[in-house]
Amino acid sequence: MDERYSRQTLFSPIGKAGQEKIRSKHILMIGAGALGSGNAEILTRAGVGRLTIVDRDYVEASNLQRQQLYTEQDVEEKLPKAAAAAKRLRKINSDVEIEAVITDATPEKLEELIQGVDLIIDATDNFETRMAINDVSQKYQIPWIYGACVGSFGMSLTILPGKTPCLNCILKKIPIQGMTCDTGGIIAPTVQMVISHQSAEALKILVEDWEAVRTSFVSFDLWRNQYTSMKVSKAKDAGCLSCGENRTYPYLDSENMTKSTVLCGRDTVQIRPPRQQNIQLNDLSLQLKELGYKVKGNPYLLSVEIDEQRLVIFNDGRALIHGTNDLTQAKSIYQRLLG
Amino acid sequence: MNKVLFFAHLRDAVGEEFITIDASGRTVADLKQMVLEKYTSVNLENVMTAINEEFASDDDMIHEGSEIAFIPPVSGG
Ligand SMILES: [Zn+2]
Repeated sequence: MDERYSRQTLFSPIGKAGQEKIRSKHILMIGAGALGSGNAEILTRAGVGRLTIVDRDYVEASNLQRQQLYTEQDVEEKLPKAAAAAKRLRKINSDVEIEAVITDATPEKLEELIQGVDLIIDATDNFETRMAINDVSQKYQIPWIYGACVGSFGMSLTILPGKTPCLNCILKKIPIQGMTCDTGGIIAPTVQMVISHQSAEALKILVEDWEAVRTSFVSFDLWRNQYTSMKVSKAKDAGCLSCGENRTYPYLDSENMTKSTVLCGRDTVQIRPPRQQNIQLNDLSLQLKELGYKVKGNPYLLSVEIDEQRLVIFNDGRALIHGTNDLTQAKSIYQRLLG
Repeated sequence: MNKVLFFAHLRDAVGEEFITIDASGRTVADLKQMVLEKYTSVNLENVMTAINEEFASDDDMIHEGSEIAFIPPVSGG
């Protein structure tokens, strides 16, 4: 298997010693959309020891243009992204221990998942989760790499606890949803450029080449030909509630966590029950069919059609209601079907 | 004079990649106000500001010739 990583070990900043380090590391990937797919593929091919992929969604046709791990068959089967990604990644490199976690990355879940992890890669689509990642990273002193994109515009920042400013130092608060909403579409090259920035940083961190880690906030626009690299060391704030002297990790407080969320630009509402449940999907499917609903499903989820809306329920009790941006309407559909 | 660059949707709202404006001796907050008066459809509430490619806060001072960039954080992934 030495042959497998020969081109990477010939690259002198990695070398044989670096490859050993990569092999011994555990990455936590939050999100298995566009950025998650690409980062996961690169790091799986690079031979990381263990990769945990967390995602709350399932594969849809509109993902295929840029989410490189998925196929038409995954769409057909409505496979959860984490499960579909794991299936593909195991075929790519059987050396890597791949774990799929089909769930919402809540603060509670993040604290559980971070145990034994060496690096977190942000591949989410919202700032609520990112701020929770930022806090959990500071609390457990684990580096993380922010990445995001919309249209032809992308950005990335590497956060090393104790060294660099954190995302809360820079943003101060969660940006208002809507201003960052991804209604502007996205082209695949933007995704790939962010992935390149994130995965290169990941390799540096895995081989512990701390000197090489980028300390600036990079952003670019591939269509408008803009590129900027902003130095951020000055942003480190001693009073920051996430990384400062009197830190409280405000985003790990589940009181601050929304139970239902309108998913940006997707005409979808996510509903999360107050406590995690264990729903027997087979039983539920039979019940709903008896009531006359059109139900489809797989071992991970059920999809139910209700007039203009469609509800997708996972066995932890979480549901996505497609075809609405109205929280009240979504909640009433959820309650009608799940009591 | 100062060159002020706009990224992502800010550029669409302003209609230009950059504008030239005299903001020397003023703060970043002042400059944001000047931009808002001229371009009413721009929202600068959550944007990050760089002065000469270095992170800047609202109360940082702008000097003659400095280049300012407004960069909105985005969430897609
Ligand atoms: Zn901080």
